[in-house]
Amino acid sequence: MKFFIDDLPVLFPYPRIYPEQYAYMCDLKKTLDAGGHCVLEMPSGTGKTISLLSLIVAYQQFYPEHRKLIYCSRTMSEIEKALTELKALMKYRSQQLGYTEDFRALGLTSRKNLCLHPSVKREKSGTVVDARCRSLTAGFVKEKKERGEDVELCIYHEMPFCNVIIYSYHYLLDPKIAERVSRELSKDCIVVFDEAHNIDNVCIESLSIDITEDSLRKASRSAANLERKIGEMKSTDAERLQNEYAKLVEGLREAEEARDEEQFIANPILPDDLLKEAVPGNIRRAEHFVAFLKRFIEYLKMRMKVTHTISETPPSFLAHLKDLTFIERKPLRFCAERLTSLVRTLELLNLEDYHSLQEVATFATLVATYDKGFLLILEPFESETATVPNPVLHFTCLDAAIAIKPVFDRFSSVIITSGTLSPLEMYPKMLGFTAVLQESYSMTLARRSFLPMIVTRGSDQAQISSSFQIRNDPGVVRNYGNLLLEFCRITPDGIVVFFPSYLYMESIISMWQGMGILDQIWNYKLILVETPDSQESSLALETYRTACCNGRGAVLLCVARGKVSEGIDFDHHYGRAVICIGVPFQYTESRILKARLEFLRENYRIRENDFLSFDAMRHAAQCLGRVLRGKDDYGIMVLADRRFQKKRTQLPKWISQALLESETNLSTDMAVATAKNFLRTMAQPFKAKDQEGISTWSLAELEQHVAKQKEEQARLMREAAANDQMNNGAHGATVQREEFDDDIDEELMMLDAD
Amino acid sequence: MCESCVDRIFSSGPAPCPVAGCHKTLRKNRFRKQTFEDISVEREVDIRKRVMQIVDWSFSLNRREDEFDSKRAYDDFLEQREEIISNLVNGIDVAKTESDLKRYAAANMDSIRANQVRESQEAASFLEQQSFEQEQARLRRQAARQEYENERREMLAGREDVLGRLAAGSPGDASSIAREGQKVLLKKSSARRSEEDRMRQKQAALRSVEAKRAAAAGQPVTTADTAGGEEDTGFIKGLKKAKAPEPEKPYDPFGGLEPGKRDYYVLQDRYPSSWLDRIRDDVRMQAGGYDLREYYSRTLLEAFAGLGCFIDEEIPKRDTAGLALSKSVATEGAAAAVTAASSVGNAV
Repeated sequence: MKFFIDDLPVLFPYPRIYPEQYAYMCDLKKTLDAGGHCVLEMPSGTGKTISLLSLIVAYQQFYPEHRKLIYCSRTMSEIEKALTELKALMKYRSQQLGYTEDFRALGLTSRKNLCLHPSVKREKSGTVVDARCRSLTAGFVKEKKERGEDVELCIYHEMPFCNVIIYSYHYLLDPKIAERVSRELSKDCIVVFDEAHNIDNVCIESLSIDITEDSLRKASRSAANLERKIGEMKSTDAERLQNEYAKLVEGLREAEEARDEEQFIANPILPDDLLKEAVPGNIRRAEHFVAFLKRFIEYLKMRMKVTHTISETPPSFLAHLKDLTFIERKPLRFCAERLTSLVRTLELLNLEDYHSLQEVATFATLVATYDKGFLLILEPFESETATVPNPVLHFTCLDAAIAIKPVFDRFSSVIITSGTLSPLEMYPKMLGFTAVLQESYSMTLARRSFLPMIVTRGSDQAQISSSFQIRNDPGVVRNYGNLLLEFCRITPDGIVVFFPSYLYMESIISMWQGMGILDQIWNYKLILVETPDSQESSLALETYRTACCNGRGAVLLCVARGKVSEGIDFDHHYGRAVICIGVPFQYTESRILKARLEFLRENYRIRENDFLSFDAMRHAAQCLGRVLRGKDDYGIMVLADRRFQKKRTQLPKWISQALLESETNLSTDMAVATAKNFLRTMAQPFKAKDQEGISTWSLAELEQHVAKQKEEQARLMREAAANDQMNNGAHGATVQREEFDDDIDEELMMLDAD
Repeated sequence: MCESCVDRIFSSGPAPCPVAGCHKTLRKNRFRKQTFEDISVEREVDIRKRVMQIVDWSFSLNRREDEFDSKRAYDDFLEQREEIISNLVNGIDVAKTESDLKRYAAANMDSIRANQVRESQEAASFLEQQSFEQEQARLRRQAARQEYENERREMLAGREDVLGRLAAGSPGDASSIAREGQKVLLKKSSARRSEEDRMRQKQAALRSVEAKRAAAAGQPVTTADTAGGEEDTGFIKGLKKAKAPEPEKPYDPFGGLEPGKRDYYVLQDRYPSSWLDRIRDDVRMQAGGYDLREYYSRTLLEAFAGLGCFIDEEIPKRDTAGLALSKSVATEGAAAAVTAASSVGNAV
């Protein structure tokens, strides 16, 4: 269907549109016009991706600027989904318009999937493809071509303008990759982060580095390698080294100029002020630099030989480093850049071997660049009980804003969207930006197609909770078991159960085994369990799907932060009920988490408990959202913990709106009765026609809505004008009364919350 | 060498090195634990220690960046130092390098000392600041915990209070009591919040003051003004010439401005003017101490005011400042001054 938002003609590839999709598009357009960042929460399964794509493509084609779209998603399967949606959209557009537009979209993945080279693409292993590709496409190969030598060039090098680029977050956020991939994107690109509820963690991971003894060993081996290579080169081609040296004396001017012209996106590993300076003299010569690296690696090795956990800030680390090895801050900052330059000069091909060394160099640069927002944690043992030391140096980033700052600085419109982003104001706070628009959409439904419930007590009226004190209480475990058993009895097809952690899941399953609960469940459903091993899990998932399809029914036990909870859909009969056992809090004893909490409190005024609860609830909401993937789908959502009652307000709007007051404090038997009732209603035939006008709009209905909206707006304008004319005293009085009403509402809400 | 071997061989004073072909004499107290795994790195660090003048005052390449003319010169120096170290490590030209260094050290003793003092000062102030920050963080953490506890306690107390009153009161006013209790709770929390804000602001202000103080303390007290060896042997190039501080001039309260100086005119005692003459002779005017010269000087000053200004040149400058309003006023004033000057000139 084709309709207009303001003056923009939008082609939507389906004959019907959901009201929330329309609202979403309107808000998107507003943001793009205003040129700012926005946070949008849209219920899962309401066609977020297609509305986003169809609006932005329409926007690109209609306005003369042709702003490029960069669409970032989390997993490969989501990227593929987006690509197929885009393909369908473009097909529809060409049908409607009668001609094919000059339009190019690119989905980036590994070389293994993309390579078109006749012989390279036949290789099976990803690393081999990478290595061969590099030997064919490295920068100096291109230079040779320019010099007229006869070498092949990759087709991708001659790629013209792309309208849409689709890739994973890391290509934009991880500075190592972003430096290569996303550097030359122009300023007016529209950047979309889809499924962005975890974006702060992605940011943090992209700047955190873990160094183990093994990687240090590898690094020192590659340093020795480098030394040898330099020796060789000195004897054969000393001129090249001399050239590099001369360039370094002059400084990194070129890059600075390029950045001045704002051609490149900034890189947190390569801060601006670094570009203005020349490389310090003591690492200018290649052999000095290698000696420098060796010294640094030896120092790290020495630090690894500790027997107790140490956490320290970058400045104190640097001070100690200087005392022992005379490595100053300055050359350390240039480490990563210097290594890249050296590798380029030596024309090294097998970069894989130098991975660890690169990691160490990146670490060196980061530790010398940022005083705040990072922490070094040295853990000699893997776990509390381990006796064999396996030291790990965690260099953790605490501030999500550092990695994403260049993105916000560079691009005028960044859109953060997902099914679960509540509370919305948390994200601008944590990522350090201001949003011009924050919006959460509710779900319009013709019938109540999902049933969220909070179960706080077992059938024996004893409270159930996964809080640490009582989580292994036999009574609590039995109540959880009974809850699952009852739901297995009444729900058709698949049930998904989420536990807060693998550890807890294992202990609870073994206790259920002892109580004979598993045997009883066995009568109704097949039981499948997710494990940390991804192959085993995917096998379990496949079996689960088969069992759901052939009518046997199955229950999948998995973990709220595991692979299943993110990105795997349980639509229709694959998931008729989801049970969240316990609030999925993070493991609070981890030092990294503690440090991050403290950082958030001191810098962003986010209290520990607020953050923990926010984090737990966004994972819980993700789990719940797995089961409902569209408007014709239905499912039961059970939150089984006493503590969910208070955290209700932190659920996304579309879930908390559907949560009735009477269903927030249920015992198992009441929940089962409600669910039975719900399932019976859902079993009634439901025609697509029933939805029309309520949860789906045809073009005519859409136009009606727009007209009504316009009328409303005009009426409001008139009223405002009339109000202005009235005297101000009366106006003030009404406002006061309204405030009073709000007060009462708030009080009532607080009462409920208590 | 293992510890017991060291004990066995060297316990009775210095002894020759047990390695065949090495004729050095070793002492027990010079043995120490190895810090690094790689022996070559260990050796390198030892040499660095000597070069950077940590042990036995032998060499002293501890120049600092601010002693050099340019960054480039400093970089060259760093590279030179690196070269020296690698020479020493790899045993190239050891004798010559060492003698060079010794000569340099002897010539530049003062600046070496000064730099060393600065270094240690910096290290000390860094340590101080670090411990200060740690203490602050600890305090903040404690405060946050306290705050959380307080809130919790108050909430519990409030709820208890409401429950007590509900139990005591009649069933009719139950809802009003509940509402009231809620209101009290809300009020308390908002009061607490504003209180917190105030505290925070205060803390932030305090912190900034402290930071300033710390920064001031962190700055080196003395700058090594003895930089640059007097009879520089040309060993290190690009050093700044030592500048003798300029002798202080006597204090000038007007900052170079002469109070009685006039640029364009000379003030005379008397100007012929028919209506001013009367005033000069009028006793009633003179009695109060009125001096006609005051009037002359003021009028002439006003008349010549703005003569040195070139409006055509200044207008663009002012436009960039964007003060359209003041511009028009100023131009008018200047124009008036010019006309006044011409009229006075006529009078003269």
